[in-house]
Amino acid sequence: MSEIDSLKAQLESLQADALNAFAAAENLNALQQLRVQYLGKKGALTEVLKGVGKLPPADRPVIGQHVNATKSALAAGLDACETTLAEKEKIARIEAERIDVSLPGRTKGKGALHPVQNGLDEISTIFSQMGFVVAEGPEIEDEFHNFDALNIPPEHPARAMHDTFFVKEMGNGEKSEPMLLRTHTSPVQIRTMKRFLAEGGEPPLAVVAPGRVYRCDYDVTHSPMFHQVEVFKVDRDVSMAHLKGVLKHFLSTYFEKDVAIRLRPHYFPFTEPSAEVDIGCVFCAGKGCRICKGSGWIEVLGSGMIHPNVLQSVGIDSEEFSGFAFGLGVERLVMLKQGIPDLRLFFENDVRFLSRMGVNK
Amino acid sequence: MKIPFSWLKEHVALTATPMQIADDLVRLGHEVEAVEMPRAAVVGVRVGLIASKQPHPDADKLSLLKVDVGDAEALDIVCGASNMDEGDKIPVATLGTVLPNGLKIKKGKIRGETSCGMCCSETELGLAEDSAGLLILPADAPVGAEVGDYLELEEAVFDLSITPNRGDCMNVRGIARDLAADAGLPLNDLDLHAVALDASLADAVVTVSAEQDCPVYMARRIQGITVADSPAWMQAKLIQAGQRPVNGVVDVLNTIMLDLGQPMHAFDADTLSGSITVSSAQGGEPFSALDGRELTLNAGDLLVSDNASVIALAGIMGSEPTGVRETTTNIVLESAFFRPARISETRRVYAMVSEASMRFERGVDPAMVAVAMQRATNMIIDLFGGSASAVTVCGDAGNVNADASGASRKVNASVSRIETRLGIEIPVAVDDVLVRMGFALQRNGDALTVSVPSFRHDVSIPEDISEEYARVIGFDKIPELLPPLATTAPARQDRSVHDAVGAGFLQVINYAFISASEQRLFVPQDDLDIALENPISDAMSVMRRSVWPGLLNTARYNMNRQQSGVSLVEQGRVYLKNQKAENSHDEINVIAWLMSGDVEQDDWFGNARQADFFDLKGAVNAWLTLRGLTGRFIADDSMQGLQAGQSAKILVGRAEAGRIGRVDGDIASSLDIDTPVFVAEINLDALTTGKQAKFVPLPEFPGVERDLVFLFERTVSSEAILNAVKSAAGKMLTDARIFDRYDGKGVPDGFVSLGIRFALQDGKRTLTQEDSDTASQAIIAAMDKRFGAMLRA
Repeated sequence: MSEIDSLKAQLESLQADALNAFAAAENLNALQQLRVQYLGKKGALTEVLKGVGKLPPADRPVIGQHVNATKSALAAGLDACETTLAEKEKIARIEAERIDVSLPGRTKGKGALHPVQNGLDEISTIFSQMGFVVAEGPEIEDEFHNFDALNIPPEHPARAMHDTFFVKEMGNGEKSEPMLLRTHTSPVQIRTMKRFLAEGGEPPLAVVAPGRVYRCDYDVTHSPMFHQVEVFKVDRDVSMAHLKGVLKHFLSTYFEKDVAIRLRPHYFPFTEPSAEVDIGCVFCAGKGCRICKGSGWIEVLGSGMIHPNVLQSVGIDSEEFSGFAFGLGVERLVMLKQGIPDLRLFFENDVRFLSRMGVNK
Repeated sequence: MKIPFSWLKEHVALTATPMQIADDLVRLGHEVEAVEMPRAAVVGVRVGLIASKQPHPDADKLSLLKVDVGDAEALDIVCGASNMDEGDKIPVATLGTVLPNGLKIKKGKIRGETSCGMCCSETELGLAEDSAGLLILPADAPVGAEVGDYLELEEAVFDLSITPNRGDCMNVRGIARDLAADAGLPLNDLDLHAVALDASLADAVVTVSAEQDCPVYMARRIQGITVADSPAWMQAKLIQAGQRPVNGVVDVLNTIMLDLGQPMHAFDADTLSGSITVSSAQGGEPFSALDGRELTLNAGDLLVSDNASVIALAGIMGSEPTGVRETTTNIVLESAFFRPARISETRRVYAMVSEASMRFERGVDPAMVAVAMQRATNMIIDLFGGSASAVTVCGDAGNVNADASGASRKVNASVSRIETRLGIEIPVAVDDVLVRMGFALQRNGDALTVSVPSFRHDVSIPEDISEEYARVIGFDKIPELLPPLATTAPARQDRSVHDAVGAGFLQVINYAFISASEQRLFVPQDDLDIALENPISDAMSVMRRSVWPGLLNTARYNMNRQQSGVSLVEQGRVYLKNQKAENSHDEINVIAWLMSGDVEQDDWFGNARQADFFDLKGAVNAWLTLRGLTGRFIADDSMQGLQAGQSAKILVGRAEAGRIGRVDGDIASSLDIDTPVFVAEINLDALTTGKQAKFVPLPEFPGVERDLVFLFERTVSSEAILNAVKSAAGKMLTDARIFDRYDGKGVPDGFVSLGIRFALQDGKRTLTQEDSDTASQAIIAAMDKRFGAMLRA
């Protein structure tokens, strides 16, 4: 066998051995050792190359091609095995690192907004988006703002129906004006209009006034403290059709469906005409059920066109301007929306109730 | 107010069904609380004849009846009553009947004997609140007939809630008038006939000195009556209308009041001395009211008196001694108009409510004063005999609600303005409905003049006319229109409680009133409490000055219900008198936190951990940071209700903005909370608005970080240490914090090992070893000099 043939045979056998060894390598480390063993400076291929110098010059390019081909084949074999092994090792690592993703995550407490807060936020947001400005007022009020300015003079039967909490004399000695816990958020209407006018404002004025109110009444269906939102708008030519439009928009947005509304003539001293507002029962879609007592309607709030005496009490010309107003009970709306059966749950503050009901989607 | 359908039909020939009438009433503004259907409620209950009665073989108190209800075979019925005999006629609820109490009649066995129906008492038929035994029907009751038909039970009773402005509808005729006008039906004329006067009788002598409060007063004597029970038909009417029969005379007056709306009163004439005076009280007069109360009257109360004493608090209640009894033979009848505001005020002062006062304070029809007197006289004489004097009349009914010229009240309005403000056109035909309701209308182009009938005290301005039109047309006819939207930018929402919730706290809402003793837990005794005059209970009698008592109660409530830990937040107001300004108060918006018990639960990654001071401090700090604020926590041992050594003032800027600390152990254990309780409170009104962050270029060169560990005396505060580090380290310092704290083995008593990690950075170059060495040396020197602290590592 000539020198060149012998070298060729060596290369071939080296290539075969190497590829077998690569394929048999168990991990990337072993493969790396094989790379050194075959392709390193002192590796097997280098050993073979030493024989090239003994060849006649004419044979050298021929064997050179063979050597390059073997080198490429080994490199390709190495790369292929490396890819396979890397993939295998990755899979093994992933398996080893597998966790039970159904285990609970680490949390910091179980925070939730109170459902009444959620209701207040939702309601205020709907009106804010309609251009109503949020206003607040004191909870300890005088009789003027809570009653007189709202067209409820002292002898008015409606005054007795308010179950008012009175505050003990606050002045020292001298008999001072009686103070009370506001029975509704309507006094904010008076205070806001007065302030607005005092600051040189002129209607239009559109206000939403959320807050706590108090009635001296405590049983299954009454809480001595609850939340109301007062909404009013004063402008030229504000009409009852506008009142109905705003109610419809608000109630449909709040209940996230197209709810039917029904206005029934009613009486409130501070509005004329006045109307109680019903919505088509959200539980039975108006077919009649236990909640709506078979009527298909649920009473949700009181409303009306602001009484001229109320506008005049703050100095707004009722000939030029008109307005609508309504007041809604937040707890009632939240109860209807979330199916909460008992008003007292809101103020018991049982964390099991709160953490479930306070979810703000 | 309960109104039987048949009574309504006495005034107007209604043809609609009860449910249609109920809808009409609602549309017209009369709230229908319920429609009772007494006759329909007993469908299936038939007249039965007891054919035989035998004792139950197995039960002493039961009988076996065979009852003929007109069918081919008599029914076997086991009955527990004892007041019936063979041959009696009784109501029998046949199989399938549902009684008013919800009981459904089914075939069944009672102690082994078959029963195919049920014999009924009055209670079971919904006819009485209680009854003894079965209802025994008259012998001529037709066997097999529906009992509801036979007893002529009412088809429907409307239970109405009349609004305070519609005094004119607190009677059957008023409601009938609205319904008739709406349906286009005529209102029947009142059937009145003249009273035969007994000329031999002296007229009642009456003087009215309080003409303002009593514009018209009528009185008449009726002599020689025999007071008997009122007839059955009248008693039935009263009961259906929700009134209890009293005696014949009172029943007649009540019937007229329910029918026409005019309350009347009858005095026993033989108990009166001298003439009758209607006057304003001087104050101090004693009064024995019919309800048994002994009152001392206030100046200004409107009184009816005789020469000896007060015989009635006008329009509200008569006196006990002068009331009509079964033995009364001579009476004085009173019919009057009393000023609503006067009645309302007096009634409120004495917390007295009567059917009469409810009507007077809403305003009765002055035109009805004489009519009621005439009708009552006729009915009393018809039923109980006697003869009547002429009527003594003081004042003039025409003066009530009239203008200066004596004409009825007129309201001038503009049709177009009403239309604009209702948002709907008014069809001219609707005027007819108002006319049928008693108004007189005159249209002159856009101008509208409305004469208001005497019974409508609630109509005096154009808006009232607008309401009449709206309810007659129907609120449902008004379109739904969105008004032009204002373009005001919405204010930023207060995120205080939301941020706390995001940090894991559960929001609660407590009542704003607490007990006086709870108030004293965290607030010292002073004059600034605001107490309620009429609290629900002692536990809810003072306006809170701290949110903590409410939070503590919430914690107790929940920890008593197996919660191992609570993290709560509440936002709301606290209330106190203003020290500086007389008769004024402050309402301060605060946010408060409470943590107690497990703040971390036993979990797959770790063990439970109880809340401590630093959990809450961290939460409060994070909350402040979110609003661009920095809090300083200054130890303060003097805060009421908090444990010394674990409490601090919270300063934000220079203002004292809040408090934080551990609730005194005695307070916690008095509430049965056995884990440490931490609370914090921040006055939201005292917070300045945080600064909006402004852009600062991010550092281009890397910084270095170094740790130093020192041994400090325990009394040294970490805040002082870090301040000293900051001033020692120079301008390149960007952060310094305590990263380790150890006082275990190897640390001498009274000392603590603290690890301080500080970071340096320069905007212009990469820092070197030398830089951090220099800073470290400066810090080590400062710690030694300021605190005598030794470097450990």
